[in-house]
Amino acid sequence: MTEPFRTRVRRDPLVRAIALLGVRWPRVALAVLTGAGALGSAVALAAVSAWLIARASQMPPVLHLSVAAVAVRTFGISRGLLRYLERLVSHDLALRGMAHLRTEVYRRLADGRTAPLVALRRGDLLGTVGADVDAVGDVVVRGLLPAAVAGVVGLGSAVLVGVLLPAAGAWLALCLLLAGIVAPWWAVRAARRTERRARAARTEVDALTLTALEGGAELAVAGQVDPLLDTLARREREVARAVDAGARPAAVAAATGTAAMGLAVLGSLVLGIPATAAGALTPVELAVVVLTPLAAFEGAALLPAAAVQVLRSHHAAARILDLLDAAAEPVRAASVPTAPGATPSGASGTGAQTLRARRLACAWPGSPPVVRGLDLDIAPGRRIALVGPSGAGKTTVLLTLAGLLPPAAGSVTLDGRDVGALTRAEAASGVAMTAEDAHVFDTTVLENLRVARGDVTPDEAAATLDAVGLGPWLARLPEGLDTVLGPDARRLSGGERRRVLVARALLAPAPLLLLDEPTEHLDDVDGAVLRGLLDGSLTPGRGVLVVTHRLAGLERASEVILLDRTGSVRARGTHDELLASPAADAYRAAWQTEVHQETR
Amino acid sequence: MRPLDPRLLRRARDARRYVLLTAALGGLTAALVVAQAMLLARALAPVVEGTAAWGDVAGVIGWLALVVAARALAVGLQERWAHRAANRTIADLRGQVLRHAVALGPRRDGEGPALATLVTRGLDALEPYFVRYLPQLVLAATVTPATLAVVLGLDWIAAATIAFTLPLVPVFMWLVGVATQTYAQRRLVVLQRLGDQVLDLLAGLPTLRAFGRERGPAERVRALGEAHARATMSTLRVAFLSGMVLELLTTLSVALVAVGVGFRLVHGDLDLLTGLTVLVLAPEVFAPVRQVGTHFHASSDGVAAAEQAFDLLERPTPPSGTLAAPDLRTTSVALSGVGVVAPGRGALAPAGLDLDVRPGSVVALAGPNGVGKTTAALVVLGLLTPDQGRVVLQPAGAPPVDLADVDRTSWWAQTAWVPQRPTLLPGSLAAAVAADREVAPDARARAARLTGLDEVVAAREDGWSHVLGHGGAGLSLGERQRVALTRALLGDEQLVVLDEPSAHLDHDGAAVVHRVVDELRRQGRTVLLVAHRRELLATADVVVTVGASATEPAREEGRDD
Repeated sequence: MTEPFRTRVRRDPLVRAIALLGVRWPRVALAVLTGAGALGSAVALAAVSAWLIARASQMPPVLHLSVAAVAVRTFGISRGLLRYLERLVSHDLALRGMAHLRTEVYRRLADGRTAPLVALRRGDLLGTVGADVDAVGDVVVRGLLPAAVAGVVGLGSAVLVGVLLPAAGAWLALCLLLAGIVAPWWAVRAARRTERRARAARTEVDALTLTALEGGAELAVAGQVDPLLDTLARREREVARAVDAGARPAAVAAATGTAAMGLAVLGSLVLGIPATAAGALTPVELAVVVLTPLAAFEGAALLPAAAVQVLRSHHAAARILDLLDAAAEPVRAASVPTAPGATPSGASGTGAQTLRARRLACAWPGSPPVVRGLDLDIAPGRRIALVGPSGAGKTTVLLTLAGLLPPAAGSVTLDGRDVGALTRAEAASGVAMTAEDAHVFDTTVLENLRVARGDVTPDEAAATLDAVGLGPWLARLPEGLDTVLGPDARRLSGGERRRVLVARALLAPAPLLLLDEPTEHLDDVDGAVLRGLLDGSLTPGRGVLVVTHRLAGLERASEVILLDRTGSVRARGTHDELLASPAADAYRAAWQTEVHQETR
Repeated sequence: MRPLDPRLLRRARDARRYVLLTAALGGLTAALVVAQAMLLARALAPVVEGTAAWGDVAGVIGWLALVVAARALAVGLQERWAHRAANRTIADLRGQVLRHAVALGPRRDGEGPALATLVTRGLDALEPYFVRYLPQLVLAATVTPATLAVVLGLDWIAAATIAFTLPLVPVFMWLVGVATQTYAQRRLVVLQRLGDQVLDLLAGLPTLRAFGRERGPAERVRALGEAHARATMSTLRVAFLSGMVLELLTTLSVALVAVGVGFRLVHGDLDLLTGLTVLVLAPEVFAPVRQVGTHFHASSDGVAAAEQAFDLLERPTPPSGTLAAPDLRTTSVALSGVGVVAPGRGALAPAGLDLDVRPGSVVALAGPNGVGKTTAALVVLGLLTPDQGRVVLQPAGAPPVDLADVDRTSWWAQTAWVPQRPTLLPGSLAAAVAADREVAPDARARAARLTGLDEVVAAREDGWSHVLGHGGAGLSLGERQRVALTRALLGDEQLVVLDEPSAHLDHDGAAVVHRVVDELRRQGRTVLLVAHRRELLATADVVVTVGASATEPAREEGRDD
């Protein structure tokens, strides 16, 4: 990204989005040229035919007609050929534009801030991004090119008629403007009106539809399907009313387009007949002036749809750029570059690394902190359990520690360097983080593990899966490590998914691991996985931070940090120290219940 | 793609009415097109021949103005009703598909997202079909024959020129159709797959960043996009080819008519009035046909979606029995040898499950993940027909009834189900736990204390009247589970199925489940508890361990897809 994008004044989002399409302008010129050639052939065909027939009726020698006859046939052929070329060129432009835009969106999101991405994922809005990219790409084929072609051909037609009879040329131009500007204006108005009134209802319709599809079985058992579908029908009626309201201007737009052509023909008769009588126009020219408008409106007729497409693409572009702008905002204003007492010069890529948090407060952008005043040292060999009430807060803490979210206060440093200021590759070589909602990709088991490290061998993968208790599961898979897991990890149960995530974290090259609830939904009855993470048997020589609310296995942790409901540290120490501490009544009580139940 | 799928007319009332309106307007338009051509020629020819002046043709031009106005009106009317018909038909089909999809039972074959796309974006693509394609199709059936007949009456040679080309048009239309259908469908599949892969990478971007591996896939996104562009272009080159031939034929045919008319005029075989009428009419013969071709691409997606919808609607729903369910307060539910094929895993999960749920008892299903505990619960709920074995209801002092013969609605009236991810409809918290029942505030408060929902309510400023968005937006998964558990406590269904009720709860999860199960037991209700945590199994009277079989079941026992 070499251009100073952020510093530029806010321009129209569609213009900015088109810039991201990577459009090759010579190709655009070619598309306009071929398109104008195709439409122009039709106009020329009409004009030359009119001349041919009017002249023929005067019974000149046949030879006088031969040029016109050849021209008519030529235009009859060139129209189809040029149209084919235009369609190929313009679609190629659009498709490559979309590919370019998609890559740009990915790149910018990959290099940008994490919060908008996570929000996008949580809001299930990713599908919209895909559709918006397509809508922006469509603006080329369906919006801009038809407008350019109609403009060129319309101008040409008006000039042709104007050369014969200036008044008729001006009148044709007026009628073309009626069809090419006024009708599209009404069409856009219709689309706006429908959009404005129907948007809320349409969103509701989509949400209700998804609820019915996802929770259909549950709703059926609860007898709630009919009420849901009734609500859906009510919302659909709201949409219908909005569409009805928009249909009126749309009808005006369509009628305007048709009327414009009729008016053009009528006007040329009204202007042309007296001019012929006055001798300003020959009878043959009159035929051309009257009949050419019949073919001149084909381009303008496409413009209402083109205008609506531009409007649609405009909305889509605004959404995409909002997202990109949110991701591109500076990661951190001016924060503490280094922690007091740290030695920046000692930072190195490998060797013993330490992740250090001081007076750390973690907050989702725009929300109150979920954790405050946290001091933490994670170094190879140290295994820490952060225990607290679950909720959205845990992911926030881990994202902050991993440098993916700026701290609300305090600092996080990796070997003395501000972790947020490191490049992702540098930070990840020291700390690997696995969130509760970490993504399982729609690819094979092996490739999913290779997300952590590209060179994981099948043997390593199998051994790690076995270590987290997925050996039998792997053995059951039809194609072993090459089994595709399907979108959204659909082939995995909740517990299997978490174990895969733990295995992936273990395979990361980073010496320090941050893990979110590795056992919450896991049939880890004896706590083997959590215990293995905290006693070091799964993570020899590595530093581990586990955020959990289960207490099994905590007796092996180097340190247990107990958070209260406000996110402040309530007590910390080893398991035994906490059991002895008077401040940790809740911990003791919870521990006793859990131990009691597990041994019952 | 069939131009007009009879199933569309059969299934959608609004579509039927709209087709009638369109046909009427189509007939009118045909008459107007012919009138316009004749009037135009009548106004122009005498002036060109020098036999008339303005005063002689002013009346004709007046009539022409009327025809122009009428044509504009017809077009406006068509547009006015097209959007309405499209919208209502889409809504109608969407409702039908949803109802049917729910009746088909839980989807376990991973087609959920595809179905969601079909019902939302897919069906919306029917709009261009209704608004643009269908009217042109009707005009092709009215304007084209009417204008051709008039041309035939005026000049048979021109009519023959057109008639020679015209039969080729349907042939090429058919070719366009075949080509586009194959390509549209293949393109849909390819598009979907490439789009899904990019979205999958975007969805996984936070994860990739967490491992510092977010840069690599950019190249993959680019490669996928270019592969997509290349694949689509190669199909478009062919798809547009037939369109080009179509356009070439029609335009060339008009050109040949013009040249033919011109030469016959020179030889005096034809008068100018006829010549001009034919010249104006010739493009009109082809115009609707060409428009049909133009709008074909835009509408084919909608038609493909509609066909998918019809195919789904024609899939038979699992048969619901007709017998009223026996009173579950005195009926045991017995599973014998129940096995269900796990899709894509080549295994039975569960396999050979025997289970006896007696009224008022608490039965737990235990076992490691993936052995089919949830599937077994779906079988008990009558949502899934087992591939092996059967479910028998044994009422006290009455003959046993097979669950398959029992009317689902009467069965569901007596069962409550708390799944792992409960669905909440938009509305207040109070409405969510009441589920259309009258609930006394103190009973509600008591139930909420047991499930820990009271803390959730207390944390909201507006308490019980706090409004939830779609999918329970505003609540965490654990909080949604507490809502669903409270709802189950306040209900009166005899059989309560709890699927991993503590899956998303905090450290007090086990305690909540204990309290809920104890309360249900006190109410005399029957509980089927799916759980893997040992501390939960302790609350059950009976623990049944579910097992899966790794062996491929015999083919004929499997489901047919």
